[in-house]
Amino acid sequence: MMDQMEKSGDGIRIQKMGMSQKRRIGGVCKTVLLFILACIWLIPILWLLVTAFSAYPGMSRTRFFPEKWTLDNFNRLFFHPDSILQYGRWFFNTLVIALFTCIVSSIFVLMVSYSLSCMRFPGRQGIIRFSMILGMFPGALSMIAVYFIMKSIGLTNSHIGMVVVYSAGSGLGYLIVKGFMDTVPASMREAAKIEGANEFKIFTRVMLPLCRPIIVYTVISTFLGPWSDFMFARLMLNSGLSKDWTVAIGLYNMLDKSLIGQNFSAFCAGGLVISIPIAILFAIMQKYYVEGVTSGSTKG
Amino acid sequence: MATEKPKQKKSFAQTAFARYFIDFGEAIAKGDWAVKASLGVMGMGFFKRKQIAKGVLVTLVQLAYLLCFILFSIPNLAKFSTLGTVQYQDPKINPLTFEVEQFPYDNSFLILIYGIASLFLLFVFLLFYVHNVKQAYAVMCDAQNGKHVNSFKEDLQQMLGKKFHVTLLSIPTVGVVLMNILPLLVLIAIAFTNYDKNHMPPGTLFTWVGFENFTDLFGGKLSLTFGYAFKKVLAWTLTWAFLATFTCFIGGILLALLINSEGVKLPKMWRTLFVIAIAVPQFVTLILVRNFFADQGIFNQICQNLGILDLCKGLGLVNKNATFIPFLTDKNWTKVMIILINIWVGIPYQMLIATGVLMNAPKDQLESARIDGANKWKIFWKIIIPYILVVQGPALITDFVRNINNFNVIYLLTQDVYITQDAGLYKSNAKEVDLLVTWLFRLTQEEQNYKMASVIGIIVFVISVVFTLISYSRLMKGGREEDYQI
Repeated sequence: MMDQMEKSGDGIRIQKMGMSQKRRIGGVCKTVLLFILACIWLIPILWLLVTAFSAYPGMSRTRFFPEKWTLDNFNRLFFHPDSILQYGRWFFNTLVIALFTCIVSSIFVLMVSYSLSCMRFPGRQGIIRFSMILGMFPGALSMIAVYFIMKSIGLTNSHIGMVVVYSAGSGLGYLIVKGFMDTVPASMREAAKIEGANEFKIFTRVMLPLCRPIIVYTVISTFLGPWSDFMFARLMLNSGLSKDWTVAIGLYNMLDKSLIGQNFSAFCAGGLVISIPIAILFAIMQKYYVEGVTSGSTKG
Repeated sequence: MATEKPKQKKSFAQTAFARYFIDFGEAIAKGDWAVKASLGVMGMGFFKRKQIAKGVLVTLVQLAYLLCFILFSIPNLAKFSTLGTVQYQDPKINPLTFEVEQFPYDNSFLILIYGIASLFLLFVFLLFYVHNVKQAYAVMCDAQNGKHVNSFKEDLQQMLGKKFHVTLLSIPTVGVVLMNILPLLVLIAIAFTNYDKNHMPPGTLFTWVGFENFTDLFGGKLSLTFGYAFKKVLAWTLTWAFLATFTCFIGGILLALLINSEGVKLPKMWRTLFVIAIAVPQFVTLILVRNFFADQGIFNQICQNLGILDLCKGLGLVNKNATFIPFLTDKNWTKVMIILINIWVGIPYQMLIATGVLMNAPKDQLESARIDGANKWKIFWKIIIPYILVVQGPALITDFVRNINNFNVIYLLTQDVYITQDAGLYKSNAKEVDLLVTWLFRLTQEEQNYKMASVIGIIVFVISVVFTLISYSRLMKGGREEDYQI
């Protein structure tokens, strides 16, 4: 507990003495295994990538790599919108919804996690149990009731309504963050308390910086939610007007059975483009994953 | 609440419940005129102790609620017992004025929602009301005993200190009420109505039918198909949830350990490679994969070229005269494929979480185990797995429940592709590969059978609640969360 300050960030590397030869062989085996696994994981993505540049609009049965390469699919997405295909508009809609959802949800989740993990008050166990029960309810079923409720307050076919739907109940998703906060030594909070900090200061100055990796996780997952969700969007944005759609519904409608022959490669291009903001965000924040939390910051 | 007394250790829930009312009675009986007046004008108790701002605030809330009660709650609650009686009529042109007239009518669904919202508001207000009287009494006690009475500023400061949890939890709670509790109540209510495609507001009214839907499911005329489908779908849902959770959880830990283990260079790069697969939104990858494995898709062509198709025919896995492997169109193939594809979708997520958790692993324990000469296998089973289970245990249960409700994977892979051959399932809109949620969704979207969907939803809900509470309390027994907080 006291002397981990020299540990590097690479987690639980287990070091053994001697046998460097054996170790090297083990390393090679592991790398080969990882390589094979990575290939399995990346083949569909590769297919997405190359088909996005395919000059053949439909889905090829015989060729993995396209016969002719082109940028026309992207050109069509952004500069030639038609009555159905309005990709730029969808992209903007989704980005706005995802940003606001991400901000609201992350704040909610952190607030709930801190109070349930680090504070002790009467009714705490009750709240934990109650929220567990609520989380059990079949999401898709309550989705329909949510739709009716939103309709009765006039928020269907509105992007504000989408943000409300995605983020309002997010406080229930605190378990992972709470699990992480539970592992932060209470001694650090005690120390701050002795120095006269109130709970607000402990939350913002002590806990939040310590929880950086899990905050990154929360931010990414709440941001990913609206990008990948399409059932809620389908229920809520049902006006049939293409300009209201998010990328998810737009792309789904593009691949309707009658349209798949002319839209498949454009669909791949669209799927590729929406992954970009997520990939960038991840690249910026990835380093936080690797940083250990208590290692190096506890003074024992 | 505010009065401090030694706690008795009887049956906790019972005592707490009884105490709630005893405290309230005591506050009224022993309170002075100001406390008693706060039963009428809620701010009175605070005005007496010079807590003007607090008093004004509380009274304003009271006025706002009364206004809302008169204008909103009373009209809706009056019709709540029948859910409306005035049938909708098409607008008519008045022969005298030639204007289109819409007669007022009742919308059963709005009455149901607003009625439930009114009842909920009433409940919350009553809690607030009782709490307020007790507070007024507590302040009175403090003042009489010569204790310090908080000023408004001090009250506010407490919201960032001792009572910070109130500040933190209040807004998320409102959100949860709006998005989770109210829909839940609405759906429970619908299970006791005849809301289906023959009773669709605003065109037609619907009304309460008691337990009729439940008896229909378990013994009535519908039971033949609905009961049959329910059993099948439930069995597959549980199998799927268990397999999906287990495979992804273990797989994620193993992958995280593999990437972080010694001898593997560039762990960051490997992690990124796997995460690329989840950077693409699920509905893109799933639709892509579904086309990849389509009957006339590219992977079937590859299998044919490599002779895998013939191999499967030889092993009896595929029909003799088939020209393709029915990856997503045969019930057994589809079930296996769904689980495999879900592993593909789920492991990168679990790997990220496991990596984060493993960073925090108790290094002193690992250290001493290593000094004691434990091998890697032992360390994995005796230290790492117990540690992860304590930290991730609650999340594992949420994962299980999330998989029970895993709409995306099932729906996107099988909708419009998989067609059931089972007449019993077909009649009740179910498929072999349906989860309860996808079935419910289809029941509502394709059949508008809201009443049966709600009934099934309630049954599932009860099953999963019981299951979760048992396993959760077992995991949390003895407050093991503090073991690692040190």
